Amino acid sequence: MDRLYRTLQGSIEGVVSTPDQFHAGQSTNFGNLHQWTPRFVVEPRSASDVATVVRFAREQGLHVSTRGAAHSQGRIALSNGGILLSMGSMRGVLGVDPAGLTADVEAGMIWRDLVRHLGRWNLVPRVLTNNLGVTVGGTLSMAGVGVASFKYGTQGDNVRELDVVTGKGELKTCDRERNADLFWGSLAGLGQVGIITRARLDLRRAKRMTRTYYLLYDDLRRFLEDARSAMNGDTWDHLESWASPCPQGTKPVAGKRQVFAKWFYPFHLTVEFDPGSPPDDAKLLRGLAPYDNLYVDDVPTIDFLERMIPIFDLWKRGGTWEHIHAWVETILPWETAADAIESVLSELPPAILVGGHVLLWPAKGKTSRSPLFMRPPGEDLVGFGVLPAIPPRYWEQARPMLDNLSRMTTLMGGKRYLSGHIDFTPEEWSEHFGDQWEPFRALKQRYDPDGILNPGFIPLGADPGSAERR
Amino acid sequence: MAIEFGTPEWARALEQAINASSEFRNAGSKWGVGFNGTLLFAFEADAALAQGRYLLLRLAGGSCRSAEFAPGPAHSDAGFALRAPFALWRDILAGKTLAATAILTGKLRVDGDKIALLKHAGAHRALIHCVASLDTQFPGA
Repeated sequence: MDRLYRTLQGSIEGVVSTPDQFHAGQSTNFGNLHQWTPRFVVEPRSASDVATVVRFAREQGLHVSTRGAAHSQGRIALSNGGILLSMGSMRGVLGVDPAGLTADVEAGMIWRDLVRHLGRWNLVPRVLTNNLGVTVGGTLSMAGVGVASFKYGTQGDNVRELDVVTGKGELKTCDRERNADLFWGSLAGLGQVGIITRARLDLRRAKRMTRTYYLLYDDLRRFLEDARSAMNGDTWDHLESWASPCPQGTKPVAGKRQVFAKWFYPFHLTVEFDPGSPPDDAKLLRGLAPYDNLYVDDVPTIDFLERMIPIFDLWKRGGTWEHIHAWVETILPWETAADAIESVLSELPPAILVGGHVLLWPAKGKTSRSPLFMRPPGEDLVGFGVLPAIPPRYWEQARPMLDNLSRMTTLMGGKRYLSGHIDFTPEEWSEHFGDQWEPFRALKQRYDPDGILNPGFIPLGADPGSAERR
Repeated sequence: MAIEFGTPEWARALEQAINASSEFRNAGSKWGVGFNGTLLFAFEADAALAQGRYLLLRLAGGSCRSAEFAPGPAHSDAGFALRAPFALWRDILAGKTLAATAILTGKLRVDGDKIALLKHAGAHRALIHCVASLDTQFPGA
């Protein structure tokens, strides 16, 4: 038995597990790229447990890493010989204020569960990620973008208040005025300055039904113009798009014949409506010029919000959920977006997208105030995500292409979204955060002076290592 | 029969190989259209190459108008120059290093608009394949 086990278990209400007790899945994340084994997995019951664990770790010279649904793919949500806080044990709704349009939830709350809980009031969080099977604390630590972000910004922009345990083991409440540096340092802060234990989220009233128009474009630039037009009006509630390959045969690539594709751009535009007051299709679609208008779908809003669940189930049944996920998602400036996307797609073998897809999401930069959510300057932006599922035997072959994709989109002014496959050098980290790098480092120093929180991903602290320090 | 690298014969053979390549004809169809697509490949001297070699390719619309070795490391006709020690070029030609990786990591230095170059990565990969496909007698080989 680990010599620290009894002391740690005796000091908290939650459950402590050692490597012989916890599930092997705790040693990796959705990326399936990194394998780190923690010394302890702790399932805390409360913020007080989290604070106790952090203080214990600090005393014992251990690191503390946090894990929600572990949907990330870099060296995060993992612990190499330290304490892994598995926040899914704190997944309660603490309160809903239907009049004030807020909900208080614990950080391990799964967004899907929250959406269902709020259904009785016809309330929804203002921004939801495509994958609802992730935690509130997890996505707030990344930023949290979704198909309504063009209106409301990131999920982090729709937080009223947080409880955070700092790297000193102090539980603090923070908001835009009170401990504002901790508040903004926790949102999109990669768990570097504190561990979110509670969030008060902004909600909005949803209409009961949605209507989605399935438009298809055969020209990227035409699509982008229509996407910008759709963002600029006050017409649409949700905008979602992809790049979809239509294989054409094979062509030589460096002398070897490979499948190549013509790319199309499905664009799904959604409005919410109340039963009995359906939207005016002709009015909504006026001015848009798709290649085809394929389908119009009316579904309850709850079903729309959960629309990706059948897709993910399909990927799981197909076995690709267990493959390597090295997603490269970049937010591009409008000016370079078309060139960057075309350049990447012209090089992308369609087969790499089995069990994955290419996402495009039109975005508005000024909807976000979050200083650590890095995006290019400018009002109109385009999110571009290549989300493959790669069989392990092909990883070494695919990796240079994905790394170049990341470098190239960055060269063209893009900013990576950090939940994906990130393997930045220290210089690339500094470049990513730009003028926020030094303030971020100062926050780290202030709230986590020993550098014990979530090491091994971003080299912010004095100790960039990942292993147990003592 | 292998042709000696750096000779006029080798440049002529490369020009013919490029113009016979359907890969380059397609992938390079937009290269050099509306801009100067003439490329200078600078094979810089190192342990394996006693004296630098500078290959000038006049390229436009998927064809090669001429290929020749230039006398020095710069040429007024070149719209772009790619510079690297000969050993790195050999790694690229052998497929051990992707040209795009070498450009993006700064190992292969670019004079000219790097982004324009990367937008046509398929064209340049086809070119490199043409070079790699030539039966060549390289120095030190």
